[in-house]
Amino acid sequence: MNMFDGFRFRRVSSPIHDMDPRVKFLYVLVIFAAAVLFDQLLPLLVLFVAQMPLILVAGVKRECMRSMRGSSLFAVIIFATNMLSLYLYSGGGYGSIPSIIERSLAMTFRFMVLVESFSIFFLTTSPDHLGLALEQSGVPFDLCFAFTTAIRFVPVMAEEAQTIIDAQKARGLELERGNFIRRVKNYVPVLIPLLVNSIRRSLELAEAMESRAWGASPKRTNLYVLKMKRSDYYMIITSLIILVLAAYIRLYISIPSIYELLSA
Amino acid sequence: MEIIRTEDLTYTYPISSKPAFRDVSITIDKGEFVLLTGPSGCGKTTLCRCFNGLIPHFYSGKLEGEIMVAGLRVPDHPIHELAQHVGLVFQNPENQLFALSVEKDVAFGLENLGLPRDEIRERVDWALKVTGIYDLKDRAPYELSGGQQQRVAIASILAMRPEVIVLDEPTSFLDPLGAQKIFEVIDRLNKRLGITIILVEHRLDLASKYADRVIIMNEGRVVLNGRPRDVFISDEAQLVGVGIPKATMLYKLLRENGIELGRVPITAEEASQMIREALTHDRG
Ligand SMILES: Nc1ncnc2c1ncn2[C@@H]1O[C@H](COP(=O)(O)OP(=O)(O)OP(=O)(O)O)[C@@H](O)[C@H]1O
Ligand SMILES: [Mg+2]
Repeated sequence: MNMFDGFRFRRVSSPIHDMDPRVKFLYVLVIFAAAVLFDQLLPLLVLFVAQMPLILVAGVKRECMRSMRGSSLFAVIIFATNMLSLYLYSGGGYGSIPSIIERSLAMTFRFMVLVESFSIFFLTTSPDHLGLALEQSGVPFDLCFAFTTAIRFVPVMAEEAQTIIDAQKARGLELERGNFIRRVKNYVPVLIPLLVNSIRRSLELAEAMESRAWGASPKRTNLYVLKMKRSDYYMIITSLIILVLAAYIRLYISIPSIYELLSA
Repeated sequence: MEIIRTEDLTYTYPISSKPAFRDVSITIDKGEFVLLTGPSGCGKTTLCRCFNGLIPHFYSGKLEGEIMVAGLRVPDHPIHELAQHVGLVFQNPENQLFALSVEKDVAFGLENLGLPRDEIRERVDWALKVTGIYDLKDRAPYELSGGQQQRVAIASILAMRPEVIVLDEPTSFLDPLGAQKIFEVIDRLNKRLGITIILVEHRLDLASKYADRVIIMNEGRVVLNGRPRDVFISDEAQLVGVGIPKATMLYKLLRENGIELGRVPITAEEASQMIREALTHDRG
């Protein structure tokens, strides 16, 4: 069940939560671009640390830590493969071990910066807001509706799956037995009722939608509208400054490696 | 003034060989509270689907006979038009809430109609207040009890201001207390707002006292149709096997034993009142 907790979005208010999702997305893109621009450890470390205040302001420290921990395996893999390949190609100028380590760390932090900014985005943007943002960006309403409804039913389906698992276990089903293929097969008696229930559910949903005048007007209204606030414009400006600054530094300033700084 | 009329209505589902119900001729007046009941599989849900046009527009199949709702011939008008006159509340509250907050859900139908935002806001707040769930408006559906979810479903239909609200076993997923609350909300819609109610229900003990009329179906036909007291006292109702209110059963038992209470009771309170009267009368 823990895996699905992320879909139970809690309605909290913070300057970051209240920000327009489109602006937040722009911010994520800018961080993304900046992270790709640099391949040295120092600027990537700066990017990583500079985002921490946002996490604190949004009050999602715990959730963020969890997603970081979740991606730590990936980070280790990235670090190891970089180490290995750089070492094998060490003829190229990354000769010394410290600089290989530094470069591998840089690649790892590039990844962590992306994880961090995506976490900030998804942890502080309610699915409702996200759907609304899609809608106001011109995505057809049917698609947006499918998106928010899918999210709405994740906790319901998770609960249902648990009920079915319990019911089948009570009838003697053993899920954790046998080799891998056997284990996958064990899940068939769970998946079939789940599938049948989903089909029935979608029919009932369609009926309920029809009963509420689905498709009555070609010009649908939405109860909510996203309006940019002053703080949203500030955020846009900040994001653009970050982008320009990153490009400038990349082009005109030579970045020292941390190893050099330390050994100097 | 009549709001729903069917004449010899017969319907067969697409792949089915036998009609789900046949030759149904009923008239329902504006402002009436009608209780529709009958054994499982007798065609109640199927009949309800005709009232807002799900049959024949959503379910194909064969619909014969006449059905008029709010002056409209059902086969000639699309569901979204009929839905503005007849609201349908379904059995499973979970599967009729789509949005991620109560407020958004209640707004759903109005958004579909393309109403101006101010009006949507006004109607949503009104519907939430009438159904007593205004405090829940920012909650997500999974944070609500079944009874609360069902009230959200009722509010979302109410917000569309239909003349008729049809509720298909709205309490079957609820405990008796939750059911009682739902019935009270429905009764309020009927008595205060004058909305015509068609309630499909098995819990006759709880629901009967609100109804002006009871219709009993059996094996696809309407077998009884009249005032609750007259219907419940009939031998036919007992034969069909619907859960006749215990108070009425008690009356029948007493009558068989030669004790006449005078009027037919429907609720336990009525019955105890009458018995008390009869006893003091006896002593006096
Ligand atoms: N979607 C469908 N397709 C085909 N046949 C159906 C469909 N829904 C119901 N039926 C059949 O139509 C008949 C009437 O069913 P209906 O659901 O209307 O009964 P009901 O009175 O609502 O029963 P319950 O009290 O169990 O809800 C049944 O024989 C049923 O099998
Ligand atoms: Mg039914």
